[in-house]
Amino acid sequence: MAAAGPSVFLLMVNGQVESAQFPEYDDLYCKYCFVYGQDWAPTAGLEEGISQITSKSQDARRALVWNFPIDVTFKSTNPYGWPQIVLSVYGPDVFGNDVVRGYGAVHVPLSPGRHKKTIPMFVPESTSKLQKFTSWFMGRRPEYTDPKVVAQGEGREGKGSPPWKVGLE
Amino acid sequence: MKSKEEKVKIITKEFVGEGEDAEEERQKKPSKVPRPKRKKQLPAAGCEEMVSENSPVDDQQEPVQEASDTRLLGVTSRRGPRSLPPIPSASRTGFAEFSMRERMREKLQAARSKAESALLQDIPTPRPRRLRSPTEKESETEFGTELAREVQRTQQEHDSQGYSRVKFHDSVRKIKSKPPVPPGFPSAEEAYNFFTFNFDPEPEESEEKPKAKNRHGANQEEKEGEEEEPPVQEGVSKTGEEEWLDGKEAEDLLLGLDHAAEDFVAVRPAEYESVHVRLQKEKELLFVPSRRTVPTYKKLPENVQPRYLEDEGLYIGARPEVPRINQNIMENRLLTQEPGRRWFGDDGRILALPNPIKPVPSRPPTWTREQDVKAELETQYKKAVKYIHRSQHLIGSGDSPGNFQLDIDISGLIFTHHPCFSREHVLAAKLAQLYDQYLARRQRNKAKFLTDKLHALRNAVQVGLNPAKTPKTLETTPKTINEYKSEIRQTRKLRDAEEEKDRTLLKTIIKVWKEMKSLREFQRFTNTPLKLVLRKEKVDQKADEEAYEAEIQAEINELLEEHTEEYEQKMEVYRVTQQQWKAWKKAQRAKKKKKKQEVEEHSANEEREQPGPGEEPEKPAPPEPVDRAVIEQQVREKAAQSRRRPGEPTLIPELSLAGSVTPNDQCPRVEVMRREDVKRRSLFLKVTFNNKEVSRTESRPLGADFRVHFGQIFNLQIFNWPESLTLQIYETAGHSGTTLLAEVFLPIPETTVVSGRAPIEEVEFSSNQHVTLDHEGVGSGVPFSFEADGSNQLILMTSGKVSNSVAWAIGENGIPLIPPLSQQNIGFRSALKRADAISSIGTSGLTDMKKLAKWAAESKLDPNDPSNGPLMQLISVATSGESYIPGFFRLEQLQQEFNFVSDEELNRSKRFRLLLLRSQEVPEFRHYKQIPLYDREIMERVFQDYEKRLRDRNVIETKDHIDTHRATVAKCLQQVRESVINRFLIAKHHFLLSDLIVEEEVPNISILGLSLFKLAEQKRPLRPRRKGRKKVTAQNLSDGDIKLLVNIIRAYDIPVRKPTASKFHQTSRSSRTFAEKHAASPTTHSPAHSADYPLGQVSVRPFVEVSFQRTICHTTTAEGPNPSWNEELELPFRAPNGDYSTTSLQSVKDDVFINIFDEVLYDVLEDDRERGSGIHTRIERHWLGCVKIPFSTIYFQARIDGTFKIDIPPVLLGYSKEQSVMMERGFDSVRSLSEGSYITLFITLEPQLVPGESVREKFDSQEDEKLLQATEKFRAECTLKFPTRQCLTTVVDISGKTVFVTRYLKPLNPPQELLNAYPNNPQATAELVARYVSLIPFLPDTVSFAGVCDLWSTSDQFLDLLAGDEEEHAVLLCNYFLSMGKKAWLVTGNAIPEGPTAYVLTQEQSHYLIWNPCSGHFYGQFDTFCPLKSVSCLIGPDNFSGFPLHMPYSEMKPLIEAVYSTGVHNIDAPNVEFALAVYVHPYPKNVLSVWIYVASLIRNR
Repeated sequence: MAAAGPSVFLLMVNGQVESAQFPEYDDLYCKYCFVYGQDWAPTAGLEEGISQITSKSQDARRALVWNFPIDVTFKSTNPYGWPQIVLSVYGPDVFGNDVVRGYGAVHVPLSPGRHKKTIPMFVPESTSKLQKFTSWFMGRRPEYTDPKVVAQGEGREGKGSPPWKVGLE
Repeated sequence: MKSKEEKVKIITKEFVGEGEDAEEERQKKPSKVPRPKRKKQLPAAGCEEMVSENSPVDDQQEPVQEASDTRLLGVTSRRGPRSLPPIPSASRTGFAEFSMRERMREKLQAARSKAESALLQDIPTPRPRRLRSPTEKESETEFGTELAREVQRTQQEHDSQGYSRVKFHDSVRKIKSKPPVPPGFPSAEEAYNFFTFNFDPEPEESEEKPKAKNRHGANQEEKEGEEEEPPVQEGVSKTGEEEWLDGKEAEDLLLGLDHAAEDFVAVRPAEYESVHVRLQKEKELLFVPSRRTVPTYKKLPENVQPRYLEDEGLYIGARPEVPRINQNIMENRLLTQEPGRRWFGDDGRILALPNPIKPVPSRPPTWTREQDVKAELETQYKKAVKYIHRSQHLIGSGDSPGNFQLDIDISGLIFTHHPCFSREHVLAAKLAQLYDQYLARRQRNKAKFLTDKLHALRNAVQVGLNPAKTPKTLETTPKTINEYKSEIRQTRKLRDAEEEKDRTLLKTIIKVWKEMKSLREFQRFTNTPLKLVLRKEKVDQKADEEAYEAEIQAEINELLEEHTEEYEQKMEVYRVTQQQWKAWKKAQRAKKKKKKQEVEEHSANEEREQPGPGEEPEKPAPPEPVDRAVIEQQVREKAAQSRRRPGEPTLIPELSLAGSVTPNDQCPRVEVMRREDVKRRSLFLKVTFNNKEVSRTESRPLGADFRVHFGQIFNLQIFNWPESLTLQIYETAGHSGTTLLAEVFLPIPETTVVSGRAPIEEVEFSSNQHVTLDHEGVGSGVPFSFEADGSNQLILMTSGKVSNSVAWAIGENGIPLIPPLSQQNIGFRSALKRADAISSIGTSGLTDMKKLAKWAAESKLDPNDPSNGPLMQLISVATSGESYIPGFFRLEQLQQEFNFVSDEELNRSKRFRLLLLRSQEVPEFRHYKQIPLYDREIMERVFQDYEKRLRDRNVIETKDHIDTHRATVAKCLQQVRESVINRFLIAKHHFLLSDLIVEEEVPNISILGLSLFKLAEQKRPLRPRRKGRKKVTAQNLSDGDIKLLVNIIRAYDIPVRKPTASKFHQTSRSSRTFAEKHAASPTTHSPAHSADYPLGQVSVRPFVEVSFQRTICHTTTAEGPNPSWNEELELPFRAPNGDYSTTSLQSVKDDVFINIFDEVLYDVLEDDRERGSGIHTRIERHWLGCVKIPFSTIYFQARIDGTFKIDIPPVLLGYSKEQSVMMERGFDSVRSLSEGSYITLFITLEPQLVPGESVREKFDSQEDEKLLQATEKFRAECTLKFPTRQCLTTVVDISGKTVFVTRYLKPLNPPQELLNAYPNNPQATAELVARYVSLIPFLPDTVSFAGVCDLWSTSDQFLDLLAGDEEEHAVLLCNYFLSMGKKAWLVTGNAIPEGPTAYVLTQEQSHYLIWNPCSGHFYGQFDTFCPLKSVSCLIGPDNFSGFPLHMPYSEMKPLIEAVYSTGVHNIDAPNVEFALAVYVHPYPKNVLSVWIYVASLIRNR
């Protein structure tokens, strides 16, 4: 293997976006994508995906269950820039516009094995009350230019609304 | 293993099941299958089946045996899973089918023959012999191993029961025990065994004998079908079958060929390495450290006993918790890996720093699902804990700092003077003061003490004078006595003074009291209850007198003695002086004699001067002898003065408050007023701690006796040592407000002073206020007098005393709450331990760590005592670095601990260097992906480019450029670019909210109104308009996602073909163009065929071809000089390197070429005879002109919409403008004004990309601050008035500084040759200058400085660089015009296609001309086709208020690109020839004009 080219190590990610708790919203779907450093490259599997729309369970948990599989393999030469999974959850608002309900990111676990992560989700807030109203009215909430922003540190000194959460396994 | 076996069993069972099914089936449909069919289908298999059917004998009656059979199969297959030959499934099923039928047939036969008999006996038949030959052959050939031999033996010797055994040795054992079977007679069991065993060694023989194997394979299959159902009968029509078998054998040989294909395929099983082998290998390769505890002796050097520092009493911090197993593994690993024991400490454990983990998590825990959010958010209130700044403490103790408490007891206040004092009060206060003095003196009773002392001394002297009594002190006696005597003298003087003072004080008291009494009498009322009583003490007259007399006598004697001594001394002195005097006298007399003689000789004057120099010493008088009487008189006088006379009673004054105060109604009015005033006054005290008010007393009224009682205790909770403690005395007089009377500084108590023990102290205060009152009160600070005549004035200031006590409080457990400073009392040590580690040991104030450590070592502190922990840690920290206390602050003080390699080593690492360069965003490495994992995998050449660039920074490379000047320019540009890009990269990391978050803007009224208006809008308007599209951020794009849409609408004034070919040299442009310089045009073949077209027919058939990035699209052909296409062309866009980031897109330098061609049809018919039958034409395209639009313009503009002038070559052979014709027709006069052709275009990108924004960095400036502010203000106002206009006041120059824009404009002399060209035609000169400027290569800033703001270079720099964008061109042109005496302005505005650009506006005699500096064209003020569409601002020098192929030369590449775009080479005529002529015209300053003539020649018949 060493003779056959540059040495790399592989990181295989198997899992699923299990469920979410969004007490206020229903009929949500989620997107996931990965953010990783320059020394990383996906070798197999899907780097991003979009799930089905799910409704709240009728039991007491009121969970939004997706069970949306994730399967991707990365190769890398440097642990720096360890992949992060970025989740963004969307759903219809009162007028039926598709608006973002939450962003969140978490590092892919560093140790092998089964991990269950709960990601707090947040969305950017409108800059003023008037903006809030108009954005609600027009169905154009403030959103990130790119969901991957949440996995990056630069220029993120904003506020978020109280977090909801998405379970990821 | 077991599972596998089971699996095999299941398979066999399936077979069994299948067999049963088959049997059932067979029973259902008996003997329907015709025989010939079987032969046809699979003859060979049939043969084999026959064999097998014949050989087995019993089995059906023995289920046990069958079970063993299946097991046998299992075993064999397990042993060699490879042994099953591959059989195509089709043939297999066919075979199965066949064998079933066969079996049915056999069964029928068996029914006919004697089937029952076969069940009972084992009959060797001659038939198996025939069978044997193949089997024996097989065994010989196929089994080379022992196994084979054994099988053979089995074959030979086996009896009927032998087959039931599974394993070989079993069977062998059985064989031994059983009688041999005659050879050549294999029993049914043998045959069966043979088949089963055959499974095993099969693969070995595959190549050797395909045929045999083939048959064998058939056998196997046969067996598979057969095994669970052994043939029931035997002896089936033997003879017939045998014959048939022979025939079958022959066929079998042939058939083998069919099966051979299977044999060529070597089927190998998957390689399997058993677990043990693998483990073995892993053991060799891998090192797994043991988990067992390492014995201590291994971890220490030989013969060294482990040393436990802790046991020795040294302090050891808590280690981080690591599981024991992990420690063991680590220790084992270290021992094996590094023989050195440097990882182990003296105690045999791995060295470890104290646990660095904070006990408190720094990140709030994420909520688990079960918990309610509200429960998590429950608020807990905690008292604010003040941080103790350590400046007061020398050494911070690890203990939590206790709250310290200072108790301030303010008991009261007494005024010794107050403005409201009446005269009586003044006297009373005086009296009280004197009485206090008296009391104090009496308490001390100094006079008595001194008298006693005097007596003692006198005794001592008397004893000393009697030598008999004290022989020991004989030697010292005279000296001692002298000392005593002098002491007696001193003491006596002191006693006299004291006695006198006592007496005077007493006298004064009495005098004041008398004054007071007289005052009371005089004013007829009493204000104070003071009353002085003089108590007389009778003394014994006689004894008193005796004592008095004795005292006087003693004194007289002493004095006498003193005086005698004195007299003696004086006498001595006298004698000496007398002698001297006598001697002098003698000498004087002798002198006189001499002088008398001299006088006679000299003058008499000198005589007078004689006594002058030597003063005549007086004749010493002898001292008077001591007169006792005089002395006695002196002594008696003094005694009478200062001492109580003998027999006089002793006076003891007693001051009491027993007197009565006259009530108000008996007092005069002024006194009543005074008393009222006193009553209105009240006082309070503020306690200030460190100059901060911490508390205040209640406000208490001033009593009539001018005393205020507070009696309050304040507990001050403090944290550090007090700096100051002050009481502020405030007086409130009625409603007139509060005045600060005085401030009293309280001493901070000693640490020994604790509550309950502190004495009440009186602190005096005084105020300098001046008060004059209109009543009986004397006021303060103002003079007053007791006398009626006002003499003997007194000035008294407000003053008084505060009685208070300050002490440290004592805590609950008896510990004084004192901050740890200046702890001087060792007695408090134990009690104070908690407060401070240092002070607890009685060494507070220690600053020297060395001393502290020394002390700690000497005092043998227990290092493991938790209370000493912080101290020991402190000492260990301080002493480890040789008591080195750094005088600086360091952020990463533990860095040294974590430096695992030296810096040099780190720098040598290629990987680290690569990572570093990448993080610095060095251009070569900015996008370096997948930095290799190991140093050895990094090629040295990775750095070559970078290092070369660093080296070549100042070396000018001429390889890529034609001359050195241009190379220099390129280099310079490159460097500017680099520096600007570096700046830009820094700025790129500053994000704004809008960079991260997309948020709709707050709609204002107009937008809302517009959207409301939109509701009423027609769904399908008659004239559709282009709508804005959603912008796409250019990140998720890839090749092919972006398309360039070019909508070609129409064109005007396309040149038309000239009707005849006669005129060759006619230029298509008017005389205004600069076409004069073209070289002699080559003799080209003109499209003479156009003459074929009849007049009035189509004179030109233009079409448009758009080429971009070498992709070409063209429209259909339209007709006429004013064609209308209205077509949309779609061209794909590829970003360089597939990088669709904003910066990358900004640096795309590609141009969009829009070429207009004329489509010419030629009749290429060679032979006129064919004209009737067919038409042969050749389509030629003749290039008419082009429009070039840079991609960057499209990218920044997002869309380009407008009419553009077509760049038509000055010489267009065979074409002329239709202008003349039109003019004649009286065509639209406006249109005729403009010469040239125009095309209307709409270009955009799909999807719309968000153009990058320029840097928001504010560059520094050297301009005057006031000017900058003024421009900023002007700009703000402009923006307010005209929000869409881009108002330019300051620009960024090439060094990155902000510069006022007018600084660029200054008259500059154009090159002289240009001026000389048309000496008497200013207009032509202006055009020439404009042309000259336009020839300077155009290089947009946005291309050279991708994504960076506009940089303006001065005209000088511009000419040096020979590249610039619109601004530079415009500035230069404007400067030239200014020098030519024109009134010129720089115009900034929006033009098409450039977008925001700069033009030059000049004022001619009657009108204004707008010059495009980049093309050299000019436009009239009212020119419809002027590309400048809107003007933002005018910039003047002093105020604000703008073909042959021909191109400016810069590099080779754009020329080639331009030639390519014309598509001349696309002609596919058979006899075409090309002509190319290039002419380069030099202008001053290295500006070159290149003319390229390209022509295609077609030979004319």
